[in-house]
Amino acid sequence: MHYQFDFGWVADYYPVFLKGIWITLELTFVATVLGVLVGIACAWARTQGPAWLRPLPIAYIELIRNTPFIIQLFFIFFGLPGLGFSLSGMEAALLAMVVNLGAYSAEIVRAGIQATPRGQFEAGSSLGMNRLQVFRHVVLVPALQRIWPALSSQAIIVMLGSAVVSQIAAEDLTFAANYIQSRTFRAFEAYFISTAIYLLLAIALRYVLAGIGSLIFPRRAVR
Amino acid sequence: MMKRRSLFAVAGMLLAGFSLSGAPAQADALADIAARGTIRIGVPQDYPPFGSVGTDMNLKGLDIDMATMIGEKMGAKVEFVPVTLPNRIPYLQTNKVDLIISSLGKNAEREKAVDFTQAYAPFFNGVFAPKDVKIEKPEDLSGKTIAVTRGAIEDFALSKIAPPDADIKRFEDNNGTMSAFLAGQTEVIVTGNVHAAAILEKNPPKRPELKFLMNKSPCYIGLNKNEAGLKDKVNAIISEAKKDGTLAGFIDKWLHQELPADL
Amino acid sequence: MTEFTTWDILRNLLLATRWTLVLSLVSFVGGGLLGVLLLFLRIGRARIGRIFVKYYVELFQGTPLLMQLFLAFFGLGLFGIDVPPWLAAGTALILWTAAFLAEIWRGCVEAVVKGQWEASASLGMGYLQQMRWVILPQAFKIAIPPTVGFSVQVIKGTALTSIIGFVELSKAGTVVTNATFEPFTVYGFVALIYFAICWPLSKSSQMLERKLNVAHRNH
Repeated sequence: MHYQFDFGWVADYYPVFLKGIWITLELTFVATVLGVLVGIACAWARTQGPAWLRPLPIAYIELIRNTPFIIQLFFIFFGLPGLGFSLSGMEAALLAMVVNLGAYSAEIVRAGIQATPRGQFEAGSSLGMNRLQVFRHVVLVPALQRIWPALSSQAIIVMLGSAVVSQIAAEDLTFAANYIQSRTFRAFEAYFISTAIYLLLAIALRYVLAGIGSLIFPRRAVR
Repeated sequence: MMKRRSLFAVAGMLLAGFSLSGAPAQADALADIAARGTIRIGVPQDYPPFGSVGTDMNLKGLDIDMATMIGEKMGAKVEFVPVTLPNRIPYLQTNKVDLIISSLGKNAEREKAVDFTQAYAPFFNGVFAPKDVKIEKPEDLSGKTIAVTRGAIEDFALSKIAPPDADIKRFEDNNGTMSAFLAGQTEVIVTGNVHAAAILEKNPPKRPELKFLMNKSPCYIGLNKNEAGLKDKVNAIISEAKKDGTLAGFIDKWLHQELPADL
Repeated sequence: MTEFTTWDILRNLLLATRWTLVLSLVSFVGGGLLGVLLLFLRIGRARIGRIFVKYYVELFQGTPLLMQLFLAFFGLGLFGIDVPPWLAAGTALILWTAAFLAEIWRGCVEAVVKGQWEASASLGMGYLQQMRWVILPQAFKIAIPPTVGFSVQVIKGTALTSIIGFVELSKAGTVVTNATFEPFTVYGFVALIYFAICWPLSKSSQMLERKLNVAHRNH
C-alpha cells in the first residue's frame, strides 16, 4: 500500500469547511456569552445568595466538572427526549456547551470575587448600595477584569472541546472533516486540514479576546 | 510580537512533519496472515443483525459468523476489530484490518478506494418511519428530518434522491442514527431493511415501519487493492459456503430469509 | 432477542470502566514522564529546547484532543506503523497530557520567587545545584494540587477515545444504548461512574491546595 497524499479535493469541498468553521465559531460565541452569565449567576448564588440556594450551584458545578463533556452531550441529546424534552443537534450542542462552560466559569468568577478585599464590601454598603448593587459595582466588574485571561482560556477550551458535537450531527468543523472523509476517503488529509484550522482559530481567538479585554477594561489600577 | 511568530512557527512545524510523507512497504496480506497466525477482521458492533453485543458484551451476528467461518477455513485465529460505519474504509487503508466484513455495500466511490469480494448477503436500503408519518415516495421527504449514518451506502443513495428541503442529519455511527430516531430526534430513519427488522423485534418506543425501498445493495467483503492472493482465497471460501449450504444457514439464522439465487 | 436487565447494563459498564482506568493511568504516568522532560527543556538553558517546548505546548493546547486522536489513529497507519486503537489512544493522550503538565509545572517553577535564585546563587550554587536543592523542592510542593486536579482532565479525556473505537466506559455506553434503547438510564449510569472516579480526585486537589495555602500563610 503506497499512500499518496492528495489535497486536490480541497477545491471542491472548501465550502463545507467554511460552513463548519462558521458553526464552530457561532456555537463558541453564543456558548461563551451565555455560559459566563450562568457562571456569574452561580458565583453570586454561592457567595452572596441566600443560604438555602447555596448547595444547588455547588452540586451543579461538581457534577459538570467531574464528568466528560461527551457524556453530558449524549445525555442531553439521547437521554432527555425520554423525559419529553427533545432538542435538535445544534440546540443540544449549544445547551451542553453552555452548561459545561457555566460550571467552569462559575469557579473562575468565584475565585475572582473571593479576591475582593473585605473592606470594599463594607465601603459599598456604607455608600448606601444594596447587596445586588454592591455585587455588581464593587465585586463583579473588578473581578471580571481580574479573571478575564482565565475566562478567555476557558472559551478557547470550550471551542476545542466542541469538536465532539459532530457526534450528534451538529455540523461543526469536525463534522465537515468527517463528512469529507466519508466522501473522499481522504481521512488523514481532512483531519490534518481541520486540525490546522482549529489551531489558527484558537490563536486568533486568543488575540481577539485579549484585544476585547484591553478595550473594555482600560488600564485601571490592576491589582 | 512573540505570539505572532509562534503562530507561523507552529504552522511551519505542521508542514514539516507533513512533508515526511510515508511510503509503507508493499505487503502481501495473505503471507502476513499466515505469518501472524491471526486474521484481523473489521466487524460492526452496533448493527444488528450483522453485529451487536449480547448481555455478556460478546459480539454476535451474521458478519461475526462470516468472519469466524473465514478464519476457520484459513486456519487463522480471528481477531475481531470493531469498526464504525464511516471508519470502515480508513481502517482498511491504514492497514488496521485485513478484511472488512461489516455489511459493506459497493459503489463507484468505494471501488476507487478498496477492492471487493463476491457478495455474501442480500441487503436493501429503505426509508422507515412510524406509522402515522405519511411517506410513499422520495418527494414526500420534503421538510422531514431524516437520520442516516454518514458515509454509509444509504447516505449516498439518500443524498441523491432527497428533495433539497429535506433535513438530513448525518450521524457518526449506527448507535447515533438509531438512538436519534428512537429518541424522536428525527421523524424518519434511512437504513437497511434487515436492520430495521431487527429493531422492530425489540419493540422499540418508535417503530421504524418501511415506507419505501431505495436501492438494492448486497453486502460484500472489503479488502485492500492489489491483494489478489487474499481476494481469491476469500472468494473461494464464499463460493464453497454458498455451495455447501453454510451461507444459507447464516442467512436463515440472522436475516430470516432464503439465500437469493442471484447472489 | 436478548433482554438487558438494569444489572446487566451496570455490570457491563463497570467492566468497561477497567479500560478507562488503565488508559487514564498509562496516559497520566507516561504524560508525566514526558512532561518532566519537556519541563527541563522549557526551563533549561538551551534556547532551542525552550522554543521547541513552547511550540509543542502551543500545538497540543491549541488543537482539539479529538483531532489529535484522529491523526494518531489514521495518520500513523499511513506511515506503515500499525496502530491498534489502544495504542493510538495511549500515544495521543500521553502527548496531550505531557503538554499540559509541562505547562502547569513551568508555572510552579516560576512561582518560586526570584529572591530564592539570587539567595542560592549567592551561596555559590551552580544552576543544577540551585535546581536540585532550592527551586525544585519548592516547586514540587506547589505542583501537587494542580497536578492531581489535572488527572481529572485526563480521565475525562479518555472518553474521547471511544470515537476512534477504543472500548472503554463511554464506548460501552453507546454500544449498550444501542442494544437496550435506554439512553437515559445508560448515560446516567455512565455519568455517575465518571463522577465517582473524578470527584474524589477533584476534592483532594482542592484540599491539598487549601492545606498548602495555610502552610504558606504560617511561614
